[in-house]
Amino acid sequence: MGDYEDATELMETYDFLMKYIVIGEAGTGKSCLLHQFTHNTFKDHSQHTIGVEFSSRTVKLGEKRIKLQLWDTAGQERFRGRSVTRSYYRGAAGAILVYDITSRQSFLNLSRWLADARALASPHLVTVLVGNKSDKEEDREVEWAEASKWAAENDVHFLEASSLTGDNVEAPFLLCARSILLAIESGALDPEKAGSGVSYGDRALRRVNSSSRLSFGSLSGGRRKSTVKLRLPLTGGRCC
Amino acid sequence: MSTLSPPPRPTPPSASPQPPNPISLRLYKVLAASFDDDATREAIRTLSDLYIAPPAKGKEVRRDDDADLDDADELDVPARAQAKPGGRGIDEAAATAVVARARKNLRRDVDTMLAASSRKFLAAFGEVDKQLDILQEHIGTMRERCDEAQTQLRQTSDACRTLLDRAGSLREERHEVAMRQNIVSLFLARFTLSEDEKEAITSRDVPVGKRFFAAMDRAEKIRDDCRVLLSGADVQPTAGLEITLATSALLEQAYDKLFRWCCAEFRLMARDTQLDASPALREAVRRLQQRPELLTEALAHLAQTRESALLAAFTGALTRGGVGGLPRPIELHAHDPLRYAGDMLAWVHQALAAEREGLEGLFGVAGRRRMVGAVRTREGPEEAWMSEMLDRAVGGLGAPLKVRVMQTVRSQESSITSYKLANLLQFYMLTMQRTIGEDAVLSRTLQELTDASYKAFFDAIDALGRALLRAPLDLDDHSVSPPLAILDHAQVLREIMAVYESSLLGDESAEEQTAGFRAILDRLVDPALEMVPAAAEAKQRQRPRWDGTVFVLNTLEYLLGVLEPFAWTQEKQEVVKGRIAGVVAQLTEEHYNTILRDAGLDEVAAALESRQPDEPLSRVPAAQAGRLQQALDAFSGWLSGAGVVHAERLAAVDARRVAGDVHSAALGRVAETYGRLCEEVRRAENRYEAGATLLGGSRPFGQVHLLWQIFGLEGGAAA
Ligand SMILES: Nc1nc2c(ncn2[C@@H]2O[C@H](COP(=O)(O)OP(=O)(O)OP(=O)(O)O)[C@@H](O)[C@H]2O)c(=O)[nH]1
Ligand SMILES: [Mg+2]
Repeated sequence: MGDYEDATELMETYDFLMKYIVIGEAGTGKSCLLHQFTHNTFKDHSQHTIGVEFSSRTVKLGEKRIKLQLWDTAGQERFRGRSVTRSYYRGAAGAILVYDITSRQSFLNLSRWLADARALASPHLVTVLVGNKSDKEEDREVEWAEASKWAAENDVHFLEASSLTGDNVEAPFLLCARSILLAIESGALDPEKAGSGVSYGDRALRRVNSSSRLSFGSLSGGRRKSTVKLRLPLTGGRCC
Repeated sequence: MSTLSPPPRPTPPSASPQPPNPISLRLYKVLAASFDDDATREAIRTLSDLYIAPPAKGKEVRRDDDADLDDADELDVPARAQAKPGGRGIDEAAATAVVARARKNLRRDVDTMLAASSRKFLAAFGEVDKQLDILQEHIGTMRERCDEAQTQLRQTSDACRTLLDRAGSLREERHEVAMRQNIVSLFLARFTLSEDEKEAITSRDVPVGKRFFAAMDRAEKIRDDCRVLLSGADVQPTAGLEITLATSALLEQAYDKLFRWCCAEFRLMARDTQLDASPALREAVRRLQQRPELLTEALAHLAQTRESALLAAFTGALTRGGVGGLPRPIELHAHDPLRYAGDMLAWVHQALAAEREGLEGLFGVAGRRRMVGAVRTREGPEEAWMSEMLDRAVGGLGAPLKVRVMQTVRSQESSITSYKLANLLQFYMLTMQRTIGEDAVLSRTLQELTDASYKAFFDAIDALGRALLRAPLDLDDHSVSPPLAILDHAQVLREIMAVYESSLLGDESAEEQTAGFRAILDRLVDPALEMVPAAAEAKQRQRPRWDGTVFVLNTLEYLLGVLEPFAWTQEKQEVVKGRIAGVVAQLTEEHYNTILRDAGLDEVAAALESRQPDEPLSRVPAAQAGRLQQALDAFSGWLSGAGVVHAERLAAVDARRVAGDVHSAALGRVAETYGRLCEEVRRAENRYEAGATLLGGSRPFGQVHLLWQIFGLEGGAAA
């Protein structure tokens, strides 16, 4: 994790701003995952999230600095019912969909969450499924293979992580950002447009690039390279 | 000379035994003389040279002369003459002639030669003397010259000393001047800006950036140093003042440039949904904090820009939605009030959080990671700026939000939806107030909306209450169950309570939870509590056979059941329970009287109650022995009937527990009345003849505990 220090600490400018929502059943560890991601520590005594909480972090992906605006939503039904959390899906570019590998129920409900997100968020929503609490192998109720199959069928990325140990915690966020950047590069997603969930950071960059197509040297040139650089633990084939 | 004298040592001591005469002494001396010493030999050789070689040879002669001269004083001529033949050995004829001649002329020759030599010397020394005279003359002149020179030198050196002194002082002066020059140039370097720096500050062509900021730093440093300089008492203030003035003027220009640049930059930020400050802009804002009035003005531009940017973005989200209409425009869901309001509020909340982040970037306080949920502690001067900026930027969203929310609130017919809306608004109000404070424009708008929505809701439930009060009971409905109006009303109550329950965070105290719902309960439950007995009474008047009391009991019990799941309704539950207790008491009383009547004890019991204190019971008509006998028989008959375990009337009570209680309580009172009757009958004052026999004639034979047993009540043991 220390390798990310320089890339993430107090960066003042960024190239892209992306809006993510973090969704999933209550108690699956969404807030802990985010806390681990933004503070590099485990959040002790985590309480149920009330409504929605906001945090942000800037990450480096290849040459690009990306500011992530993270919206941690409450998983409790009462907030969904009250039209609170679902309203935040609107215009998100990325969704981190979390279930708890020790709770079959949290896995079974995924379809509902995904359907919600797809219906309400940006049409290019990139979703990464995270099986959290991978440290509790002994209590596992959802096999990796099963979740991976579900992810493939539903066209989302997938990996397992542990907010407790920090294992694989950065990966879903970076993976999501990379997919979004690739969508921008391919022209499928236009950060200039409202509701895309992405926008350019530095206005200077926009002025330069507004007329011409953006190019992401390291991204388009070598995915492998950028993967290695990011230390995304995807090279072992644990990603769909 | 001593070397030439013959060494006397070998001979004299031994060869002179007696005092000799002078001649012999002389002789001895001559004889004893040895001529074999080097000096003698040399002298003789000179002499021989003198005579062999013609005297013409001056050189040799002179040498011989020298030798002779040397010897002259010491050597005895005869001795020498004698010595010569001895030394030579061989005499030849020619030699003999020479020798002869030599013998004859030696002295003279020598003298002649000596004289010649002396003359030569004389001549030579004369010459030397002459030269010496000349030399002396020269030296004299020289001394004169020297004296002159010395005088001159003295004069010169005197003259030089003053020169040197002057040169020295000049040198010192020069040194001083150089030092001062150095100081002055250092001073200048330190207290004036280079042309380059001046240009950076004043020129429009030099952008606000590194170079500009560096020049500004210099100017600031100069100004500060000047201040220090001026505070020193021994420094002439003029230079410092001038520099201060010049620098301040430049600094003002710098601030002015910063200000104009910031204004321009701020105006450019209209297009961005997200406020994003470049490092230069951040630095500019940091510096402009030194000129609050300029910053205020510049920020006013930004506030305006941001306000309209956010407003435009909000309008876009409301009416146009995202790219190609996805996500859909928020207004598309105007028919779904909660979603509509929720989407708008969430949009505003997100804009608020993002704007706050942008401002943190602008004011350079980014990175103080904080969840939005966390309460912000006011820290630093930037916080005040940011609050105000945030307030202004999002304040403008209030107007379009208000119009739409109010419309939605007003058009709600369902009080439940109204309540949900009010809750939603309150939730967002609290959430956003944590970020922008209670006094922010948007906070006040949200407060207004929340108040309005609550008012709408209260109006709605007040209307419900009023309608309930007016609702008549169906006269043809024979049942004593809660009426439809109450069932509907309770359903509304139930849903509203569920909404309230879900809005609790769980960290409120019991008192807070109760207080949060008290007003709603009062408005919803009180009308019911009022309506039920009143309506029952009215119906009762119309339909005397209809059991109003049981109806009220049933309805109140039902309402209690609706409230019971929630702890925070405890207060109201107690009120309802109080009402129920009243009804139960009434019902018990009625049921008791019914039993007395059914059991035939009513008249006797009445007599027991109503007789005069001193009047014997047996004299009261209804309690005369005969009538009493009849009553006791009737009671006995009733005891073996179904009425003991079953009461027709109570079967209609929905709450079985309550029905049982009422029945038991009534039976208990019957038992008590019977007990009192037995006591009175047995008392002599009441003048019954064979009262015990009278009582023992029929069940329960005057035994109250037996009656308790028959009733299946515990109270018998105690009584
Ligand atoms: N062992 C283990 N426990 C975890 C992990 N992540 C979270 N937890 C625990 O799971 C519980 C719930 O975590 P939260 O992060 O509050 O869950 P959430 O998804 O935010 O819940 P809501 O806010 O109600 O939606 C907490 O008790 C955490 O300590 C993990 O990776 N490993
Ligand atoms: Mg949470």
